[in-house]
Amino acid sequence: MRKYLYIYKATLIENLQYISNIILGMISFFVTIFVFLNLWDYMYADSSELINGYNINQMVWYVLIGEILWYGTRNKTLTNEISNDIKSGNIAYNINKPYNYVFYIISKHFGEITIKFITFILIGSVIGRIFVGKIIGFSLVSIPFIMIVVLLGVFINSIIRIAISVISFWIEDSNPFHWVYDKFILIFGTIFPIEMFPKILQSAMIFSPIFVVNYGPAKLIINFTFEKFIQIFIVQIIYIVILVLLLLLLYNKGVRKLNVNGG
Amino acid sequence: MLMEVKSQIKVMFLSIKYNIMKQMTNKVTFITNILFMILNNASFILQWIILFNIKDEIGGYTFKEVILLWGMAASTFGLSHIMFYKAFHMSDLIINGKLDMFLVQPKNVLINIITSDTSVSAIGDLLYGYICLAIYGITFKNIILFSLFTITGAIVITAFVCICSSTSFWITKGEILADSLSSLVIHIATYPGGIFKDTIKVLLYTIIPVGVSSYLGVDLILAFNIKGFIYIMVFTIIITILAFLVFNKGLKKYSSSNLMSSRI
Repeated sequence: MRKYLYIYKATLIENLQYISNIILGMISFFVTIFVFLNLWDYMYADSSELINGYNINQMVWYVLIGEILWYGTRNKTLTNEISNDIKSGNIAYNINKPYNYVFYIISKHFGEITIKFITFILIGSVIGRIFVGKIIGFSLVSIPFIMIVVLLGVFINSIIRIAISVISFWIEDSNPFHWVYDKFILIFGTIFPIEMFPKILQSAMIFSPIFVVNYGPAKLIINFTFEKFIQIFIVQIIYIVILVLLLLLLYNKGVRKLNVNGG
Repeated sequence: MLMEVKSQIKVMFLSIKYNIMKQMTNKVTFITNILFMILNNASFILQWIILFNIKDEIGGYTFKEVILLWGMAASTFGLSHIMFYKAFHMSDLIINGKLDMFLVQPKNVLINIITSDTSVSAIGDLLYGYICLAIYGITFKNIILFSLFTITGAIVITAFVCICSSTSFWITKGEILADSLSSLVIHIATYPGGIFKDTIKVLLYTIIPVGVSSYLGVDLILAFNIKGFIYIMVFTIIITILAFLVFNKGLKKYSSSNLMSSRI
């Protein structure tokens, strides 16, 4: 465990030097938020109107939190780096080292996104506060519980992404599968809350990764209850156990298939 | 002069042809990329179904018109990424001093650079554009106008990205700036212009040319007017000339990294 903490710390320190890059890279985030602010401003005839139980304050904050989770934790290490390592055969150098490649990637990923994620949270909160005011009914007491659920959500998302990248052991390019997962999370969990979809779809989505990765944490922030926290937390733990086992199984199977020619 | 242009265009198409042939060596990956990109784009129809359940008209567009707008955005993006993919990664070549191999070739440097790579998944985007057109309604007039505005839109996006990327000759963070601004154009293009306030609209038809690459083309397919048509054509020519001017000016500041590289 200590070696992974060391990898995390080393990557974090390295990334501290690139804060200006993170800020410049926020242009896409600003544009997305700007488009959604305009869109929802257009959709809501007045501020008291409710669309599927959400007023404009809750809807904008939901989208904003979803986008923070989306942009703040995006990282090419989980997608391109693993795929490229497998495609180029570079992974042969990594699997010989005294660490597990999967846990190495997770530590590196968290080291890379920590500063970025905190920056997105701070700037996203300021944008939300300026445009629609503070989250109605938000209490500071809920912050530790929200942090747990958000961090577990980011962790689950990372495991799913690594599992998708590991597909490169079988087919050369795993990017198309990332696109499908991206759009799945983006459309069903980020740009709309689940309540916007038909009832039949809603019950299916509760059991999908959307609930633990995006919808659950975002909903908990805009409307916190302790019962909801317990519900999301339990489902997240179940997801983590199943996904970690599945990922290790996939990875070990993939490594046995690996065939590298010299170099 | 005319022979030179003809020869340049011939080289450009040959370059694109070989790029695609190179990508086709792995047929499974090639086909998966195209099909999944179509699926990827199609998923956004859901977003609009949900929004049109709330309102019958968004930004002055009906559901079918938004699909046409999406189609235009996808096809312009697709064509620019098939023909001029390297324009979207040119900053990296500039910052890391990798332009040498293009400088020694006896053709236009900028065209040589931007046509030196092709994105396979962009073929899926282009096809998806025409699928959207089919959903909206295919007529001879629609196909001709859609194809024409796909070409002008792709040129406008590419020229805009080239200008943004050329800033890398002067500033080291030009890569992030170019990346962000190109994603800005693509993202805004998929939402009706009517949802934005008037001052933003002015920006979208001038400095950030989404209005010219997408909105105006769709408006002309819906109701043709000669003024709009001339505006697109003139704007396309001006921004293309500007892209060459800015790049050539920047090129004078280029310093090589003496990196050995070749085009295969």
